[in-house]
Amino acid sequence: MSTELWARSIEELAPDLRAGRVSPVELVESTLERIKQHDGTLLSYVYLAENAVESARQAEREIRDGNWRGPLHGIPIGVKDNYTTRDMPTTAGTTAPDISFPTEDSNAVARLRAAGAVLTGKTRMHEFAWGTVTPPTCNPWDVGRVVGGSSGGSGAAVIAGLCTAALGSDTGGSIRIPSSICGTVGLKATFGRVSRAGLVPHTWSLDVAGPLTRSVTDAALMLNVLAGYDPADPSCQDRPVPDYTAAVGQPVQGLRIGVCRNHFFGRNQVDVENAVEQAIRDLAAQGMTVHEFQVPYLEYGLGAIFAVELPSSTAYHDVSLRAGKTQHFEPDVRTLVEVGRFVTGADYLKGEQFRRVLMEDFRRAFEEVDVIITPTTALTAWKHDAATLEIAGEQESVLAASWRLTYPFNLTGLPAISIPCGFDRDGLPIGLQIAAKPFDETTVLRVAHTYERTHDWVARRPEL
Amino acid sequence: MTESSKEPPLDPYKDIMGVDFTPERLDENLQAFADILKAIRKLRELDLTEVHPAIIFDPTDGYGDGTMS
Repeated sequence: MSTELWARSIEELAPDLRAGRVSPVELVESTLERIKQHDGTLLSYVYLAENAVESARQAEREIRDGNWRGPLHGIPIGVKDNYTTRDMPTTAGTTAPDISFPTEDSNAVARLRAAGAVLTGKTRMHEFAWGTVTPPTCNPWDVGRVVGGSSGGSGAAVIAGLCTAALGSDTGGSIRIPSSICGTVGLKATFGRVSRAGLVPHTWSLDVAGPLTRSVTDAALMLNVLAGYDPADPSCQDRPVPDYTAAVGQPVQGLRIGVCRNHFFGRNQVDVENAVEQAIRDLAAQGMTVHEFQVPYLEYGLGAIFAVELPSSTAYHDVSLRAGKTQHFEPDVRTLVEVGRFVTGADYLKGEQFRRVLMEDFRRAFEEVDVIITPTTALTAWKHDAATLEIAGEQESVLAASWRLTYPFNLTGLPAISIPCGFDRDGLPIGLQIAAKPFDETTVLRVAHTYERTHDWVARRPEL
Repeated sequence: MTESSKEPPLDPYKDIMGVDFTPERLDENLQAFADILKAIRKLRELDLTEVHPAIIFDPTDGYGDGTMS
């Protein structure tokens, strides 16, 4: 365990904070100093909280007085800039003029504050959560490479020690992609598990709020706070919230791994494919059984997610589009918002019909398996100026390749986590994706933790 | 001849899709949409006539518990 406070995980820090062995003020000051040293290069934050130290002092007083609120009390947490906040500006990554957002806490932020977390600031994101690059944020493993996106600032900040955990949001992979590219843990819970009230919408029927963390246990601790019913989000489900940390450490012997051989395998970078195949063998060695299957309809998934995402985003930005404000968006995002007009209503509904077909295919698969394991991204961090890469012998757009393996779990709403499962020949992290049945986050976490504790990937840090 | 037939013909972009781009911008967007359209055209090939969309309308939404009997 590192002695540097900024380098420690929530599960390492919480007992010491509770017992008074670590001061929340020292922890936050350590984190702020780390930001001061490195964020001039990494550019992971767009705004630093002015009251972070004061919030830490309050946490220190409360803990000293016996009012410990839980494992997040005094923990420095970054907030993706599409969550509205009462005391920090929200931009959703845009610099377009005359676009503003409410100055009240989103549900997730309010939950973090109630749990005693110290918010460090707003992390950079790809504009309006469109895109998987998050310019100009740099990857801590190699500053010449991207961090993924759209929650790229959160990914960079977590792995570099510029916060202990962070919030992200995931519409087609935007938590899991930067987690894979940066080497963090990223959890997209089941659609409807975490409230999106106060999260700037991208696509109402796909968006999921969730955490990026340094360990699986930390993800469970964050989900314990974030999960729960909120009538302000019409898609949020009123279901019991288990203690997700109870899944951590539970044996996996007898659980069944599903390996979907089409779509998810055969079109990945060699090091990615090899690392994930090894991870599956490693989990089998822990007593899990492996079952291979196919979902042929996945070949229609790209059309479906385009048909759903594009017009949804365009509908959200309709007033801006008609007022000519989209000309001030970044060129890639402007184009996507504008071309959403070309998707017909019939295409949109066909996308929604297709989702039911895909959901049924995965439901049938889960009659035979408990989790589905895939790579998170087909490629590791690419260079800032790369538009295409050769993957499995074919040239492919890095943007297309980066979300190909994540969006199926947005179309189906299933819970999915990305955890580190090795490094490629250039020393860049590789992500392993584990998905399960709806609202079965406990099995996702159970399997993920078993893999994590039998490897040392999460202990590795980029040298800055 | 009906009254409506005297109206000028509808512009497929401006009137039907509600977009009012400059000709240059329209060309750029159509070019960018070409790859996306390939994927959507593939989706259109499917016969999903008997499949209900994943999105389900709930008329009780907003009433809250106890209001509906």
